[in-house]
This record gives sequence, structure tokens and C-alpha cells, in this order.
Amino acid sequence: MKKSLIFDAGPLINFAMNGSLHILEKLKKEFNGDFLITKEVKKEIIDTPLGIKRFELEALQLKSLYDRGIIKLADLTPQQVNELRKKRDKITNIANTTFKTKKRYVHLIDKGESAVLALSSILKSQNIVIDERTTRILCENPENLKKLFEKKLHTSITANKKNYSYFKDYKVIRSTELAYIAYKKGLFDIKDPRILEAALYGLKYKGCSISEAEIEEVKNS
Amino acid sequence: MEEKEHILKVLKKVKQALETKNYIKIKHLSNKIIHNASIHQDPDVIAITVIIYSLSKLIERESYKEEENWDKFYKNYFQNINNMIISLEKNNIEKFRNEVDANRKIINKLSGDLKNYIKQVFRRAKINKASRIYEHGISMEKTAKILGISIWELAEYSGKTRIGDVNLGVTMPIRQRIKQAEEIFQ
Repeated sequence: MKKSLIFDAGPLINFAMNGSLHILEKLKKEFNGDFLITKEVKKEIIDTPLGIKRFELEALQLKSLYDRGIIKLADLTPQQVNELRKKRDKITNIANTTFKTKKRYVHLIDKGESAVLALSSILKSQNIVIDERTTRILCENPENLKKLFEKKLHTSITANKKNYSYFKDYKVIRSTELAYIAYKKGLFDIKDPRILEAALYGLKYKGCSISEAEIEEVKNS
Repeated sequence: MEEKEHILKVLKKVKQALETKNYIKIKHLSNKIIHNASIHQDPDVIAITVIIYSLSKLIERESYKEEENWDKFYKNYFQNINNMIISLEKNNIEKFRNEVDANRKIINKLSGDLKNYIKQVFRRAKINKASRIYEHGISMEKTAKILGISIWELAEYSGKTRIGDVNLGVTMPIRQRIKQAEEIFQ
């Protein structure tokens, strides 16, 4: 089976807003597999922003990537499409019934994020690229999400811990790890030694959930 | 509307703060509702959060007050909030929702620069509140949908905050994640 890496909307938006989509293109060549998106992600990164003047340029650049097959929709059979929809809805439901305040469940994630996880399960490719924080914490340390809710919502939270295991097998990387790989492989045109730091902070300031302490550690790796 | 009593209490405090044009207090009151907005994701609560926060910004900036129609606009806005309070006191949720809708109409009725300024204030208020809800632990896509903004706007705004630096968001040692990335690209 061909290798694949599945992208949420955030990292693609982030590379586009940083004017760094050419890096993604070079990484694709190195990857020797497919960079996949879901139809929900395509809508978020191309269809919707094409109607927003402020983001139209980036949307056109992403469309060019899509038209050239650098990023593409997964080639699914009708049966798999059906399976994807069911899986997506199941994931949404499980995620959104994992944490509860006294009165109600906290609705954490939406269909787009669930579809990324669902596609990953269907293709048996656990590797996903997500910049936003909630889905990543849910996969890697859901107990932290419980603590975050309790801290921020000023209320006690009950967790349905049986649900935790449902998300534990996904392997998440962020746009910043992709930038690191690009740097190590010499894919940046600019050869200034500050380019890694610049790229990492650029990605952080456009929405990648990475701490300054992590960036400093990446720089020293 | 589950949070009726809470919203009513906050709106009454907003009204009091309006009398002394205390925009800091009004801003603080909008933040008080954000916890509820994160949990309930109720469109009415979200709308009130945005209306109150926008109001604080409008009062804060002196330059708006020099605009033609400002006095009329402010009077209508004040009356609108008062009507929301009366509707909730009478437990008339339908009337309350009509008043929330009327708030939008007050802005749409404006013309010229003031209309553009205020629309921008509301747009920014939505993005600010979205960022707060995302900070509370709701995903980026879900939050963007709740507020009716794009993920692009939310990503750009939240990136400039300290959300990414919260310790609870660090869920794996960075060296392990790098190793994971290296294995993917082997």
C-alpha cells in the first residue's frame, strides 16, 4: 500500500499564510507517498477562502497545489466513502461525549477534525498533521484536556475514560515538525542559519500550537 | 435558554456600567459569559458575548463618538440592551431573541464610515471571543463554526496569543515527536 500523510486544514492554512507552500511541495517529493486531505478540509482551505478577499491569494495557491496533485483527496471506493462518513460521525459522537460538566457534555470537535481521524483509520495510516490543540490533546493525553476544562471553565468535569483508548493510536505531527524535516533535508532556499527559528516562529504565530520552550528545544536538536 | 438568569444578571451589570461608560467593566462582563459560551455553545449566549464585547470597544474609542449618527446609534444600542433585560425579566425568550436580532439591524441601518467601523468592531469581537473559546479547550473548527468566522481568521489571531504555551498543551516530549516525524519521512 502507498504511504500517506493525512492533513487537517490548519497546517495547510499555516504554510499558505507563511508563504511557504513550496516547502510542502518539496517535502512531498521526499515523502514518496500521498499528501491526503478530506473533502471537509478541501472546503476549509480552498472553497471557503476563495470567497474571502483577504485569503483569496492563499486559497488560489492551495488550489494550485491541489490541481497539481501535491495534496489530493483520498481515492476511496463508494463503500469506503460510506464507511468514512459513519466513522466520522462515530468519532464526533465519542469525542463529544467524553467530557461532561454537571449538566451537559462538552462538544469538543467538529466533523472536519473527525473526518481526518476517520480517514486515517480507514486507510490504516496513523500519521496525521494537525496544528490545533484540542484534537491533538484528545489523541495523546486526554486527561490534560479534562484538566484544561476544569481550569478554564471553573467547574468540575467528569470524564468517560473508556473513550480515551479510542483515540490513542493516532500519531500526530504539526506543521513545525514538517518545517524541521524540511530544514534537516536542506529544502529551504534560504541558507541563513536563522531560517529554522524563523520558520518555527512563523508557524507558531499563524496558529500552530507549539510552545516557545518546544521551539527552543527543536532549534537545539 | 438554560442560562437565562446568568445572562440577565450580566446584562443588568452592563447597563449599570454603561451609565458611567466603564468599558473595562463591560469587557470583564463579556469574559464572564465566555465560560458558559464554551460549555453551552448556545447561539444566544454567543451573540450576547459578542454584543457586550463590541460595546466595550465602541465606548473605549473616542474617535467613533465624533462620527455623525453616533448619538442616535448609542441611544438605540442602550435601548436595545434595556429591551433584552425586560424580555428576560418577563421570561419572554422569543422577544429576547428578537432583540438580539434587532441589535444587528441597528448596525445595518447605519451608513457611511460609522457603519464600516462598527461592522469591523463586531468582526474583531467575534474573532476575539472565538480565540477565548479555543483557549478554553474547544477545537479550532468547532469554535470557528460557533462564531461564524473562518478557521483562517481564528488561526491567525490565536497564533498571536499565548495559547500554544500553556503547559497542558504539551502532550509529548518534543524529541519524541521529532522522531515520529523523522520515521514518517524515512
